[in-house]
Amino acid sequence: MTESYRQTDESELIKASIGGDKEAFGELVNRYRKMVARTVKGMLGDSVYSEDIGQEVFIKLFYSLSEFRGEAKLSTYIQKIAVNLTLNEIKRRKRFSSMFSQKGDDEMHEFDVADVDNEEKRDAKELVNKALMKLDPKFRIIVTMRMLQGYSTKETAEILELPLGTVLSRLSRAQEQLKEILDNL
Amino acid sequence: MNSSDIKKLIIDSLDAGKESEGISGKLENEGISYDFRNGFTDRILDKVFTVSPAIIREIEFTRRFSTVFYRIAITGVAAIILLLISIYFMEGTLSVNSFLGITDSFDESTICLLTGK
Repeated sequence: MTESYRQTDESELIKASIGGDKEAFGELVNRYRKMVARTVKGMLGDSVYSEDIGQEVFIKLFYSLSEFRGEAKLSTYIQKIAVNLTLNEIKRRKRFSSMFSQKGDDEMHEFDVADVDNEEKRDAKELVNKALMKLDPKFRIIVTMRMLQGYSTKETAEILELPLGTVLSRLSRAQEQLKEILDNL
Repeated sequence: MNSSDIKKLIIDSLDAGKESEGISGKLENEGISYDFRNGFTDRILDKVFTVSPAIIREIEFTRRFSTVFYRIAITGVAAIILLLISIYFMEGTLSVNSFLGITDSFDESTICLLTGK
């Protein structure tokens, strides 16, 4: 469907998308869907509900593309949208669970590892999912940015709009917490 | 790679001094990769490009309204600041009397003016 735009420059794709070109926007979605999936699914769990947030990220991107000035990279811009929507969803779930359910945050996630064919790999993915869900959300987001996205601490600080010192201290506390969690898994 | 190797890799990825890009690639090779279901892009495109004209008009209106609102607000704030500066230079103070323009009048004449006596 988006074959004709495979080699097209990102700025051209943005311009065409603003102009209402469906295929151009489709190519942008294809280029960044995995990146968004890592953030959303890393934070909310590999569940079907994450798909809705993923869709919301790209719908929001489409309506805000005309405001994108190109001062930052498009990936950073999309990542910020994904982080904000995911954190809002976590807050919403917390409110919901405190009002209507006695379940803890980690019990609200459903895991879907059916897409992994190899058993060893499925175990590895399950291990990571479980460990992430046991982490406090403020540490989970840092771990997701570092471990799943491969961002540097500076890039993580920029995306999360946090001071570098805060990211470094949360990173070290997340590492401690994660060690403890992984030892018990 | 066994589970203890993966655990080590996860912990290493959080070392502030280490480059985590390579580690995330290794984890991806071990099956720790994420993507949305098939047809994800098509579902988004359907949602985005089948919006009714009424919704598009509403979005356009909201966007334009907020732009106009900010412009009016900024002009208003600028006018208030100019007014305050001019009052300060003309009256030498920013008291309530200077705002009302009655710094030079006596209390008795104000009472006469208001009561008509």
